[in-house]
Amino acid sequence: MKNNGSMKNNNGNIIEVKNLKKVYKMGSERIIAVDDVSFNIKKGEFCCIFGVSGSGKSTLLNLMAGIEKATGGQILIKGKDIRRMNERNLAKFRQNNLGFVFQSYNLLNAMTALENVELPLVFKHVTPRKRKKMSREMLIKVGLGSRLKHKPKEMSGGQQQRVGIARAFVSNPEIVFADEPTGNLDSKTSKEVMELIVSMARTNNQTIVMVTHDQRLTKYADRIIHIFDGRIEEIEVLHNDSQTQEAAQPDTEAM
Amino acid sequence: MRISDLIKMGLKNLTRRKARTILTISGVVVGSLLIIIMRSIGHGLDYNFTTQVKQYGSLTTITIEQYGAIYDEDGNWAGSKEQQLSDDLVKQVKALDHVRAVSPVIRQDAQLFSGKYQGYAYITAMDSSVFDDFEFPELTKGEYPSEKDKSMIIFGYMQPWEFYDPTSRMWQSKTIDLDKDKIVLKFRNYMPDPKKREFSLPLKNIAKMAETKSDFDYNTYMDLEYFKSIYTKYCNTLSLKDRKNALKNLENYQQIMLNVDNIDNVEAVQDKIKEMGFQSYSMLQYIRPMIEASRTLQMVLLALGAVSMFVSAISIANTMVMAIYERTKEIGIMKVLGCQIRHIRMLFLFESGLIGFIGGLVGVILGYVASFLINRYGQPLFGQLMSGSYMYDMTNTKFSIIPFYLPFMAMGISIGVGLIFGYFPARRATKIRAIEAMKNEN
Repeated sequence: MKNNGSMKNNNGNIIEVKNLKKVYKMGSERIIAVDDVSFNIKKGEFCCIFGVSGSGKSTLLNLMAGIEKATGGQILIKGKDIRRMNERNLAKFRQNNLGFVFQSYNLLNAMTALENVELPLVFKHVTPRKRKKMSREMLIKVGLGSRLKHKPKEMSGGQQQRVGIARAFVSNPEIVFADEPTGNLDSKTSKEVMELIVSMARTNNQTIVMVTHDQRLTKYADRIIHIFDGRIEEIEVLHNDSQTQEAAQPDTEAM
Repeated sequence: MRISDLIKMGLKNLTRRKARTILTISGVVVGSLLIIIMRSIGHGLDYNFTTQVKQYGSLTTITIEQYGAIYDEDGNWAGSKEQQLSDDLVKQVKALDHVRAVSPVIRQDAQLFSGKYQGYAYITAMDSSVFDDFEFPELTKGEYPSEKDKSMIIFGYMQPWEFYDPTSRMWQSKTIDLDKDKIVLKFRNYMPDPKKREFSLPLKNIAKMAETKSDFDYNTYMDLEYFKSIYTKYCNTLSLKDRKNALKNLENYQQIMLNVDNIDNVEAVQDKIKEMGFQSYSMLQYIRPMIEASRTLQMVLLALGAVSMFVSAISIANTMVMAIYERTKEIGIMKVLGCQIRHIRMLFLFESGLIGFIGGLVGVILGYVASFLINRYGQPLFGQLMSGSYMYDMTNTKFSIIPFYLPFMAMGISIGVGLIFGYFPARRATKIRAIEAMKNEN
């Protein structure tokens, strides 16, 4: 990959997962959602976690983002074990390093598009003036320059997801987690949204970890982790940066 | 999160559910309004009470009567006993702790004549050097006795009574003008000795008190020394037998009045006097049960306010719990986006505190309005409520008085209730897990 030199250690691995395990207890039954999973993701990579529903892929993403607590194993992000962080440090860590794109957009309905994009910056103590400027620029980048004052309910699904993307990228995080980002969108909008995510990540050399069950979306990925029944079936490493970049470029400019 | 962002977000959340916020706030408004009204009525009661009681004499005054009342165990009057009130006793009483001023009192009926009209005066003779200590009122005419001249007669505001002509058929009456009419004072306790010239004293040094609406209005005062001198002159005009009896009046006083430095010491001094073997009474002794009744009433009123505040506290807690249920996903999203737990707690505490603050503020404002209305139109109702105090002068009584600390207290309670009853819901909000954001049901 390109920026191996900038990483301090770990051979350019920004995320390292070792023997990760997640067991849910449902009464007396034990459900193993993630079973002894190990893999690495390099900085600037587009990693796709692919599997059918119920395969444990979403759980895996939640574990990596520190949203759920693992039962066993290790998750190192930028060399730091997030399982050892307390809530406070985890919140700080998310502010500074992580962005999120959700399937159901998860915008706050009471707030305008601009305010939604501002939110991560609000938590980061950025001054109102500065964060307004940053958010506006970000919304213009995703093609919603004319929708700044609109509430989520006044926008289409595609537009809402673009606000979501703007929110995920506004604080320039090193890693963006995306959980089925196109799950609620039609195929045309899906394509637009995907190309937007890819092009944004490429510009700043950001790492994307995306969960999907949609075979068509895997073509954007550099690395595809196939999950089935909580286990890794196969890890595919592709080198298709040039392809997607070419495909994405004219489209985003056209918007 | 910055404080300004927290405030902005809290305000936004409250305005999001306007109806619910307004209803919850109204609960607090009612609570703080009731606290203010109840407390102000309590103060009104107290104030009226003390001013009313003052009309019946100072609360720090103790009187020892010549005929001390005897009460049985149940407090019923069971007769009276004569007490020897001598100069010795005056000295002893004066030596007691906390006694500020003591004066023996002689009371004596006198008749007043002005031409063919006559009237009477009830003379109270006291040591003029302690007049100040007994809070004698201002004079509208003349002066109080001084070291040099003690020959004043001081009429209370309502004194002297109307003079009348006993020889006329209808007992024709006449209002005497103290400035113009000549008045002569005579004592008529005993038949005058026919061999001697009758005692009569033309009044020259006349003074008159301003209105006090108290005992002073109905009495006529003289300096004790001066009274003794004129009374002795009168006794000299009596037959030998009568003179002896008449002079006893000067040796055994009718009353000893003493003034205590502080209202809290009145009962202690009374106990001391009792140890000396004398019966005494004070206004405080009589109003003690009334004070206690008034306290009880105030406690009841305050309890009413507290109950309504408690109800509004529950409604705040309910509102906050509802808000948290509604915003579960939102809180999850905020957590995923990196919001600190303490900021979530502060956000909810701010919202519940703000409900308390606004409610308290509106309650205070309405409290002043209500207080005004009660004083203006509350006469019929509150006149009845305070029926124990029949002696109230109803025309300018204030039923509701808001002391300066009350609005602050009401605000403090409202905000406090908001924070305390918002605390547990806020804690609950912090326990919401980030995973809520990932749930996809809409």
